[in-house]
Amino acid sequence: MNSRYRIVLIVAWWLLLAALALGVRHGLVVSSDLRSFMPQARNADQKLLLDEIGNGPASRLLLLALDGAPPQQLAALSNGLAQALRDDAHFSRVLNGAAAPGALDPALLAYRYLLSPTLDTATFDSLFLHDQLEQRVEDLASPAADALKSLLPRDPTLEVLNLAQRWTPAKTPLSRDGVWFSPRGEALLLAQTYAAGFDPAAQAAAIDALQTALRALPDAGAAQLTISGPGYFAVRIGATTRVEAERLSLLGTLGFVVLLLLAYRSIGVVVLAALPLASGALVGVAAIVLGFGSVHGITLAFGFTLLGVAQEYPIRVCSHRRAGEDLRAGVRAVWPLLRLAIVSACIAYLAFFASGVPGLQQLAVFTIVGLLVAGAATRWLLPPMLPPRFRDAADTPGLERLRAWLAALPRPRWLPWCLLVLALIGLWMAPTPLWQNDLAALTPVPPALLAREGELRDALGAPDVRYLLVLAAADADGVLALSEKISPQVDKWISTKAVDDVELPSRYLPSLATQRARQAKLPDRATLQGALDRALQDLPFQPRLFAPFVDDVETARSLPPLTPAEFARSAFGARLEAMLVQRDGDWLGLATLTGVHDPDVLSAWAATSNGQVRLLDLKAASESLIAQYRSRILQALGVALLLLALSVAIAFRDLRRAWHVLAPMSLATLLVLAVLRASGVSLSLFHLVALTLAAGLGLHYALFFERKVDTAAEARRTLHATIVCVLSAVLVFGLLATSSVPVLRAIGLTVAMGVAFHFCLSILMAQASLKSAATDGRFLTSAIKDDRKNEQC
Amino acid sequence: MAALIARLARPAPADTAYAEVRFVHMLRKPLVLRGSVHYGGPGQLGKRVEQPYRETTAIVAGQVEVTREGRTPRHFSLDRAPELQALLASFSALLGGDVATLEQFYTIKLMDNAARWTLTLTPRSSDLAKHLREIVVDGAGNEPHCFSLHEADGDASVMLLDALAAAKLPDPPTANALAALCRAAP
Repeated sequence: MNSRYRIVLIVAWWLLLAALALGVRHGLVVSSDLRSFMPQARNADQKLLLDEIGNGPASRLLLLALDGAPPQQLAALSNGLAQALRDDAHFSRVLNGAAAPGALDPALLAYRYLLSPTLDTATFDSLFLHDQLEQRVEDLASPAADALKSLLPRDPTLEVLNLAQRWTPAKTPLSRDGVWFSPRGEALLLAQTYAAGFDPAAQAAAIDALQTALRALPDAGAAQLTISGPGYFAVRIGATTRVEAERLSLLGTLGFVVLLLLAYRSIGVVVLAALPLASGALVGVAAIVLGFGSVHGITLAFGFTLLGVAQEYPIRVCSHRRAGEDLRAGVRAVWPLLRLAIVSACIAYLAFFASGVPGLQQLAVFTIVGLLVAGAATRWLLPPMLPPRFRDAADTPGLERLRAWLAALPRPRWLPWCLLVLALIGLWMAPTPLWQNDLAALTPVPPALLAREGELRDALGAPDVRYLLVLAAADADGVLALSEKISPQVDKWISTKAVDDVELPSRYLPSLATQRARQAKLPDRATLQGALDRALQDLPFQPRLFAPFVDDVETARSLPPLTPAEFARSAFGARLEAMLVQRDGDWLGLATLTGVHDPDVLSAWAATSNGQVRLLDLKAASESLIAQYRSRILQALGVALLLLALSVAIAFRDLRRAWHVLAPMSLATLLVLAVLRASGVSLSLFHLVALTLAAGLGLHYALFFERKVDTAAEARRTLHATIVCVLSAVLVFGLLATSSVPVLRAIGLTVAMGVAFHFCLSILMAQASLKSAATDGRFLTSAIKDDRKNEQC
Repeated sequence: MAALIARLARPAPADTAYAEVRFVHMLRKPLVLRGSVHYGGPGQLGKRVEQPYRETTAIVAGQVEVTREGRTPRHFSLDRAPELQALLASFSALLGGDVATLEQFYTIKLMDNAARWTLTLTPRSSDLAKHLREIVVDGAGNEPHCFSLHEADGDASVMLLDALAAAKLPDPPTANALAALCRAAP
């Protein structure tokens, strides 16, 4: 094949890949919703949980603090920013303390006697009215007079203020110049995004809008904005992880290229070696786009990690080219083993499909398609393009000495058993829990940010992100009645400091029964007028001043009670609407908690409520969901391991030799686990993926070392290929292991360590290739014989 | 004028006795209160009612707390009581001799004859003008005698300070009688 034709082919392949990349990029939607790594909800509770994890009001709150300017300027900036954000499509609610905390919608003014609890304990008789009106005289002489004057004729008992007070959270921030301030003098705001808290892409857009809005304000120059909250953390962590991963991958790739240049002394090989992996990855992504539409960022990261196995395919082909022989012969010689390796890896990755978790099913599709394509590309597309002139890897200086040294190493039979015992001891002695179920723990928030978040949350009295009190009833009114019933208990919790505040739905709207009871206590016009006249006898009010009050009470007597649906249409209705959710025919009331100091007290009481009231711990519940499906993945991995053993055994048609391949792989995996566990690492999904990759690579080493070869040169080629593979994997993943981001470190450390263990144990236990050349020069494996037969056909 | 206002400055803390008459259109007769005003430095003002009932109002960092005997204290932000904010600003600026702050909120007119003077403060912002028509301070020499607040709805409050606080008031007090008391030469 002439070189011109070769170059055209290579360029055509690259162009094809570039076109595919463009197409895929167009269709690819990368999501960042952590819920795609959770199993599908099976019951109302889990549905609620999955909804609340990403969409709960608390997780969508951004806490903002402005400082770096005098208080008056900060207050003006706070108002300006709040106004700008209220007009911004990213935010559903913005609070800065300026708006009245709970002004009654004028449309509902007539309902005040039904909504306010005043009539639960009082009646509108002359005694009560006299006491109230006497206070109003004093109010008119007080500094508050200006605010009260307009209310007085309609509302002498100040029900509107009672409601406003009731609707104001127990703990409100300090107020200065009309806006919220922290104790250390920062202006505070709360901004609720429409986007879910764990959707870093959407949160990043909202945060951008926020910063742009601030910069657009006049005099914003000196002021500094601090942002905190779950959404902000997701953005920050995503960015640091990405920057670090990109930096380390770039270093790794450069090192890898240098390694290939040193190993093969050919730029052409380096250019070509990337093609199968790139093809596999692109076709894999295309398969996800076609099959699922969108893909989670973590799936892609995991997928590219797992696909790393495929980088070995071209290396094996390049190292096994023989001087003086047709290039294709070398490829055919290693293909049966490569095929076996590909099939086994696919079987192992199938386990992820069985998990039932969308994110992992995508992972399985991506990696399996990717491996098959990379394998096929290596077998059929790559060989015609390889440069015709090459250096036989077998002639690498020093390689024979190394092979001889390795072959001559003592291999005591007791060593593997000894290692096994050590591994088991390590696993047994492990100081930490086996599993890390908190996915977020692998991308932890820096302690300084977390401390700041706690400070702001405390100053703002913002609701807790972890706990929710859930009330269940047959209908919305039932939820409100239940909420009223537990209200005294909630007050007890607040007074004993178990929790700072609980926002119950009945705080905003009483049940229909309660409204009717209050209505029944409203006196008729004549009775009220008589009581009012008696109360006013010794008070200085103008006659007839309170006629609007008498009219309003008369109107309230005949109002139909306010239903949740009607209340939802009022100015304050959105708050209640968010608290009442319908699920599978049942109604749930979601009460947010502020400052949970003793969750055990709450959950212990809830346990006695016959399931009507529950304390939902979002963290514990999501962890138990993960634990549930993890056991399914483990079972699937177990089955996959059996299938893999079976396929190796069938391929070798020799149990002893299959054992030579499987034993070092299993023992090395066990050793990695033991080292991780003994050093206090709790395992997560990320470790499982890394272990699977390491095992896949280990399988290659063992397979190729166990292959019986006909000449010492071929043994050297096997060693050459394996060393290039091991060095490149250790280089790339060893770099990741130096990362400061725990998830990258976890993957890097596990794979790098795994590769080292697999390599050493394969040399010790699957040594046919190293030794056979010395003992039986003419022995050919059945596999190679098979292949030769094929060639003749 | 600036010189006069500067002369009015008092070292904080200062307590001043007062008698206040409030004319409210909702009431058939004016309310009369006696007590003391406390000035604790810029932005810190307190008002204590001793007669006919006991009530304390404290203003710190824009927050007002009204405490009445036997009742739970009521809190509100100064922002929701513009009248009070204007009063605080003017009272505090007067007691601090701070012309600049006064001029920030009001246009100031001074009528001065040798024996006595009258400062008339008219709100600059239309928001404040919706609540407050003007503040009139009557005095002589270095002493303010009366502090009168005229609200936009016609209601008014007249505070007689220091020596005048003990003065006997006609029953019921009338605006004219009070004006005469305030403008009488010492």
